[in-house]
Amino acid sequence: MIQKPHEDHIYIEALLKNDSRVLSKIYEKFSHKIVSYVRNNNGNSDDAQDIIQETLVTIYHQAKEKNFILTCPFDAYFYLLCKRRWLNELKKRGNNRVTILDDTTSITEEQEQQVEETEIFEKQSQLFESKFKELGAKCQELLKTTFKIKSMEKVAEILGVTYGYARKKKSQCMGKLTQLVKDSNEFHQLKAY
Amino acid sequence: MKEDYYILFDNYLNKELSASEIISFEEKLNTDADFNQEFEIYKALETSLASKFENEEAEKELKNTLSKLGSKYIKPENSIKKKGKIISLFSNKKFMVAASIALLIGFFLFNNGDPVYSDFSNHNALELVVRGDNNEAIIKAQDAFNSKNYKEALQQLTVLSETNSNDTEIELYKGICYLELNVYVESDVIFDAISSGNSAFANTASWYKALSMLKQEQFEACKYVLKTIPESAAEYKQAQKLLKKL
Repeated sequence: MIQKPHEDHIYIEALLKNDSRVLSKIYEKFSHKIVSYVRNNNGNSDDAQDIIQETLVTIYHQAKEKNFILTCPFDAYFYLLCKRRWLNELKKRGNNRVTILDDTTSITEEQEQQVEETEIFEKQSQLFESKFKELGAKCQELLKTTFKIKSMEKVAEILGVTYGYARKKKSQCMGKLTQLVKDSNEFHQLKAY
Repeated sequence: MKEDYYILFDNYLNKELSASEIISFEEKLNTDADFNQEFEIYKALETSLASKFENEEAEKELKNTLSKLGSKYIKPENSIKKKGKIISLFSNKKFMVAASIALLIGFFLFNNGDPVYSDFSNHNALELVVRGDNNEAIIKAQDAFNSKNYKEALQQLTVLSETNSNDTEIELYKGICYLELNVYVESDVIFDAISSGNSAFANTASWYKALSMLKQEQFEACKYVLKTIPESAAEYKQAQKLLKKL
């Protein structure tokens, strides 16, 4: 299915290009509302700044890896993502006393769907990353080198092993990682989506 | 055996299988659910990790840009607070209007006899919403207070103060509610605490402490508190006016 990008897709492109001129518009236009929301819910402006930045970095990765296309206005999509991220953060801090009621911003089904896509993308990445860290140091190093340097010949050279050994080791490490992911609770929760 | 699977996955993804091997591989994907699931995870891991490590540098640069923009556009707390709070409730203009009304009332009403609390109890409207939020409790508190429903206002403010424990403005208005409801034990504790602090509401709290004394007809104590209100305070004129009456 070919999705037609919304005109606000420029913000996604700006993230990919690290275009500070367009990115400054995001802060100028949309940050105020998020800062108010966080500050009214047991947070301060530093928290808000973190929430905004983490959300934008997540969108960046999604765009980079999955060619994410924004098909709805950025405003509501971004606000909802930040809001939910802050609520999660509060939960993590053990603070369940959120007084603010949901504001009346109406959300279309499409926006909701895009928000969910981004959230699932992030959950998956986080799961992969945490399982990666459970691997032994040698596996981590080998995989990191493999993904940074595309050529397995070079990887073998750098690590001082034969090409065949490097290939075999790589798929072994990836296999181990696959098992770790497959056996995790988080994976089964993600699958439910 | 599993190990062979993973080598096969890798070869398949690298397009290193022969045509016949591809056919049997894809057939296995279609018939063996476990094999299929593991392949999907393997593939997703490849894409995700590759993207993550390839873009590590770019991510760092993006974060740099965002941090700079963040500090430029998102102002730290103290500057917002100063602007938001003091101006919202005690903007000079608004206060002068309130003060002159109080003075006028005073002038007409207490030319004779002892001053009474109701002549001076002209509260500034509670305007917490100016801070730019839509909290239901805030709106309820504000509506209740401004329509002199102090019992309801107190309830809502108490809810608010539980989550904003350091908010002096909310505390002050709680104190006013208690004063209106004649619960002096509570109101005086609040006014004392605020007036001995150094918030923007210290003088206002002193003024209310004086009003509380007036309402309890402890005129000497009232006079004493009034004298502590400095000339620079917005409440100074009112305080002097009341002092003259006592």
